[in-house]
Amino acid sequence: MADQTRDTTTDGGVAADEEITQPLGLPRWVSALLPIVLLVLVLGVFAFTSPLAGVQSGTPLPDVTITHTTLPSDETVVLHVTNNGPESVTISQVLVDEAYWDFRVEGAGGDQTLAPMESAQIVIPYHWNPGWDLEVALVLSDGATFHNTIVAPSQSPGFSLSLLGTLAVIGLFVGVIPVALGMLWFPYIKTMSDRWLHAVLLFAAGVLGFLAFDAGFEAFELAERVPGAYEGNLLVVFGIFGALLLVQAISAWREGRVAAGDNRASSGLWIAYLVAVGIGLHNLAEGLAIGSSFALGRVSLGAFLVIGFMLHNVTEGPAVVAPVARGERPALKHFAALGVIAGAPVILGGWIGSLAYSPTIGAFFLAIGVGAILQVDWEIARMVRDAGGRVASATNLLAFLLGLAIMYVTDLFVAL
Amino acid sequence: MPSIDYNSAADVTERLEQRLVESLTGETSVSRRTVLGGLGVAGSAAVGLGSSRASAASDHDDEDEHGNFGAVGEYRDLDFDPHEFLTAFNTGNSGQDNVPQQVYEEDGRTVREFEFTAVDTTIAIAPGVEFQAWAYNGQVPGPTIRAVEGDLIRVKFTNLGRHAHTIHPHLKNLNPRMDGIPQNGPGVLDTGESFTYEWIAQPAGTHFYHCHSLPLKEHIHRGLYGTIIVDPDPERVRENPREYVNYHGPITDDFREQLVEEAKSRNHEYAENDAVNEMVMVMNSFDTNFDGGNEVYAANTRAFGYGVGDTDGEGNWTAGETKRPIQIDKNQRQRVYLSNATEFDLINSFHTHSQFFDYYDHGTTLTPTNKTVDTIMQCQAQRGIIEIDYSDHEPGLYMFHAHQSEFAELGWMSFFEVV
Repeated sequence: MADQTRDTTTDGGVAADEEITQPLGLPRWVSALLPIVLLVLVLGVFAFTSPLAGVQSGTPLPDVTITHTTLPSDETVVLHVTNNGPESVTISQVLVDEAYWDFRVEGAGGDQTLAPMESAQIVIPYHWNPGWDLEVALVLSDGATFHNTIVAPSQSPGFSLSLLGTLAVIGLFVGVIPVALGMLWFPYIKTMSDRWLHAVLLFAAGVLGFLAFDAGFEAFELAERVPGAYEGNLLVVFGIFGALLLVQAISAWREGRVAAGDNRASSGLWIAYLVAVGIGLHNLAEGLAIGSSFALGRVSLGAFLVIGFMLHNVTEGPAVVAPVARGERPALKHFAALGVIAGAPVILGGWIGSLAYSPTIGAFFLAIGVGAILQVDWEIARMVRDAGGRVASATNLLAFLLGLAIMYVTDLFVAL
Repeated sequence: MPSIDYNSAADVTERLEQRLVESLTGETSVSRRTVLGGLGVAGSAAVGLGSSRASAASDHDDEDEHGNFGAVGEYRDLDFDPHEFLTAFNTGNSGQDNVPQQVYEEDGRTVREFEFTAVDTTIAIAPGVEFQAWAYNGQVPGPTIRAVEGDLIRVKFTNLGRHAHTIHPHLKNLNPRMDGIPQNGPGVLDTGESFTYEWIAQPAGTHFYHCHSLPLKEHIHRGLYGTIIVDPDPERVRENPREYVNYHGPITDDFREQLVEEAKSRNHEYAENDAVNEMVMVMNSFDTNFDGGNEVYAANTRAFGYGVGDTDGEGNWTAGETKRPIQIDKNQRQRVYLSNATEFDLINSFHTHSQFFDYYDHGTTLTPTNKTVDTIMQCQAQRGIIEIDYSDHEPGLYMFHAHQSEFAELGWMSFFEVV
């Protein structure tokens, strides 16, 4: 059988050799299930006989995270807490600025005890002063304390249609419009020689590379506030690799299609869409940051900041359209779609960030953006190589560097 | 004509300074953290490098390689003058313009009536460093009330701050409604509410008043405190001398007379009181960065407010405009009504250089509780009377300060200039 040509499926897989004999002549599914059945049996024996009961010493430490705080009115402070520990904890007292203070626990089933992984809100009636830091601490039933400082408190906006409208307008200005403006460079890019077009592509790669680092650092920073049970750092790693591998898988599937003779799949338009998705994911995370700043009442979105965002994002436009500069110009609807995919997620992110903010969601979205961007950079390099260019030519390297540099400079304007 | 030139030069300077201040504070995109960071830098500069040159490097006049300590620059906010505050006693008959007051008789008792208003304001606590304060009548410490033992103190209090406030007196108060705490009487007074507190001025001594709203730490350290001085009544002293001494032996006629004399010297309505130079000092402190520790310490709010402006380390000094020593007449007896409002730190202290003093804890006795000491300590709300005499001394500068060196270097550093 070894000399028989193996069938290659469209996804690159190879059919398994069915001729390998199973032990004792059992059917294949039995040998697939057997280890699982045995594992269940062993776990059952372990659970019922507790062979390690005599070995156990001490009790696990309580672990509670205050993920974030909201200030719905100047008479109220709300702490969002999660129990990360393996055992239940009871929040017996709350300190505000080192003074025992009134509070009630909401969302923990009517008592003050949180089961493992359970989250709740602690509502504190406290007449805080805008701008004056508050130090809050939870005192558990065993006396353990968990502290959190609310820096420069200011009132959080509640949910309202006008808030969603405001965020949509902000998203339009910082996301959609700059990307669309940047795409207007398309006719000019089309007239460029291969050498300069490749430079523009590498510039785009530099832009994306910067964004990957930017979002990556932010994701890990945010991961520190993710409740311990969710393993924030590993969640970020998972998000990055997950997105990278998922997009890479789609890309590999596309190549299969190209090999099978599908012309549409081989065009630069495909890469343009990938770039747009990558940038869109990044902008989603940007929107999350803006929206959560609103939710946390930490907004100083002055004209300066909006202008900074626009300068920052206008460089993303040419990155999207550069891959389609060769060959037939795609239909205009594709440009519209590219612009929307790349820019509009700012609005969506803003809404999600303002309505359902949590560090876990924020870190995960940022990580997904990083993964997608890394894959796109890979894709751009391959595109240049496939077009007969040298990726690491002096012009291209300097263009990449310029991309990084411009993003660094414009990023200075948009520190939230 | 020269004076015109001088005025226009002053105007130009003023405008330039104003522009500088606006350029520093008007930029809205500067984050609050950056500003606080800047203040932090200013604070450390205040500790490390100053214009009061305390060291004695005799071979250079201006440059001192060890650096100098003291706050850099002058105070710009001239609404509050710590030198005026020292002797600003509100008796009902006379007092500060910002404290409406009157005296009248009611049911055979002297009533001293004051109008107090709690407001949110900003005060200067070190040159260029502002503090968002809650203040009685816009000043920190609050106005000093002075009455005679047995008088009725009536305070018409209105709260115009955005938080709820009260006034709680450290007096012997027989009516719980008048205690100024959240649980009694009118409770806390919300924005716009008023209440008239009535307290009998007793016992004789120097006392403390403060807001008792919660959180207490915040309401005290934001500036809602002040001094109530209750002068002893010499006639009452003559009749009940034992109430004014911590002494159980026989009271001779001479001793009785001595106590009456002391009471007269304490009582602002007697001529004997004019012979004494009396000063009010409240030791206070400010947490500017919300970390539960103080960045600035002072006697009467202003860091180095009674410090030396500038000196070459050889005894030659130039007084600053706003930071200058307290000038005292060596032939006059000095009396300090001292209290401690310091929050976050357990105690504060008062230490004099080159002279010892008598200390009357709470001022409720007419004989000293500590005789011949040069350092006393007070916990929060503790107060006492310090009587000190520099008549033997040569004219010059005599330091007094907290003898927690940390507090001294953070602002609670002062001088008497004996002339």
